[in-house]
Amino acid sequence: MQFKELIVQETNNICEQLSSYEDRHTSFKELFLTKDTINFGPIKLLDRASIAMRTVILFLTVLTIYFFSTLDYQSIDVLKGFTDTFVNFKTMFLNPYAQRFTLGEAFYNVVVTLGLAFLTTLIGGIVALLLGLLAAQNLAPKQVTNLIKGFVAIIRAVPTILWVLIFAVAAGLGSAAAIIGMSFHSISYLTKAYSESFEDLDRSVIEALMASGANWWQIVFQAVIPSSVTYLLSWTFLRFEINFANAVAMGAAAGAGGIGFDLFMAGGFYFDLREVGFITYLIIAIAIALEVFSTNIKGKLQKSI
Amino acid sequence: MALLELKNVTKNYNNECCALDNVSFSVDKGEFVSIIGPSGAGKSTLLRCINRMVEASSGEISVDGLISSSLSKKKLRKLRTKIGMIFQHYNLVDRLTVIENVLHGRLGYKSTLAGVLGRYSQEEKSQAYRIIEILGLNEQIYKRCDQLSGGQKQRVGIARALVQNPKIILCDEPIASLDPNASKIIMDHLGNISKEMGITIIVNLHQVEVALKYSDRIIGVNRGKVVFDGAPCDLTTRQIRDIYGSESEDLIIDLGERHAG
Repeated sequence: MQFKELIVQETNNICEQLSSYEDRHTSFKELFLTKDTINFGPIKLLDRASIAMRTVILFLTVLTIYFFSTLDYQSIDVLKGFTDTFVNFKTMFLNPYAQRFTLGEAFYNVVVTLGLAFLTTLIGGIVALLLGLLAAQNLAPKQVTNLIKGFVAIIRAVPTILWVLIFAVAAGLGSAAAIIGMSFHSISYLTKAYSESFEDLDRSVIEALMASGANWWQIVFQAVIPSSVTYLLSWTFLRFEINFANAVAMGAAAGAGGIGFDLFMAGGFYFDLREVGFITYLIIAIAIALEVFSTNIKGKLQKSI
Repeated sequence: MALLELKNVTKNYNNECCALDNVSFSVDKGEFVSIIGPSGAGKSTLLRCINRMVEASSGEISVDGLISSSLSKKKLRKLRTKIGMIFQHYNLVDRLTVIENVLHGRLGYKSTLAGVLGRYSQEEKSQAYRIIEILGLNEQIYKRCDQLSGGQKQRVGIARALVQNPKIILCDEPIASLDPNASKIIMDHLGNISKEMGITIIVNLHQVEVALKYSDRIIGVNRGKVVFDGAPCDLTTRQIRDIYGSESEDLIIDLGERHAG
């Protein structure tokens, strides 16, 4: 009971102080109500930044007009070029037909491509989980996080295809080089994504567990990962989708096999537009299926966790 | 022998003087000690020096006969299991349930692997249930912590500290974010813990009246120095002025109330 009285007392005290303040400062109200005599200028000032911005836009506009007016089309009839392209698109997408393989074979090759994407995401995910922990500022010393973040940024700056070609020097063009190169890039991408998810956890929660005597691994598995598991999964799904697209390209560019290689052969070797259309539809269908699948899983996870 | 003893503890951040300046005191088993002082006086640093979440620059701290500054990493972990800690912002893992958060208090006792996998013994689980029941949280036991109110979260924090079987519980402004009702519940629980279970409670407080009401002893800190150390009834207006460094008439503190009731 005394506690409640104390609170009442305290509130009364505050009220008294406030009212005595107002007594002493009646001019406060007056000050507030007096009319302004300040003259306002224009709200947006023409400062250096906006002048620079306008100059750049003007310059680019002039450059664009100049470029189109002096373009050398040589003997190409632009209109004919457009119509021909549309005719090609029409054959490709309105009459898709697979001549050189059955639907079963096509699906087998899609599975190969999916396998390539899955394997590289899996390898990337596992390695990135460890690196991500070491790159999170709330979990590792600053030197270590800077080292790993810097290293990973360099790897990420080089495109996947280039890594595949670099590893192809040692492993030869084919699926081995594709897997190593794509995993390499996945690791760096996921390390950054994971470490940022880990950093979302408040440092004070980690402090609380450390104060109770828990060690680093226990804190990681009992607090850090449970708090960030939905982020981890959605980043991994995103990378899987990226890796699927990459795997299609790698099939063509690095001879890694799968549906990408078929696409390459159909387009570049047999000039079979109808087959290109067929394969494109197949890839789009798979991409949509993956998207729907991952959205569903994410929705379910967010409900349960 | 005293359970906790600080001798000439000094702490400097970045070579600046002094978050703590030559602090010495000792605390016995079952004592309820409040540390009061203005913001930035070093209260939190003082508390964190005790379980070495902050390393003291010099001086000696002994807990239960062990000199904490000389301990190896493994022994420090063991020492920390004897010191529970609760926080202003509760510091729970929001996505986990109440029982999971409470069991986190046992991690210090477990091997790395058992802790990583979250394997708790039957005994530990029943102890956790018992404590949760005592604190009146049995209806929330499988709720996620982000669905709880502030007062309930703080009770989970207390449960997590209690499940450690601690000898000391350090409380860093436990009621600073709570409404008066929840504050009273939390302070009553802390009072009972010290009286009935004989666990030493050291609590940082901003509310002088609350400190006066609940503690056996008050330590006043200003600019890293202990400026008052004694029973609540010895705390005078003048000493409050020393602690907070201002005219106590300006402060919203009423000393007359404490003898009533």
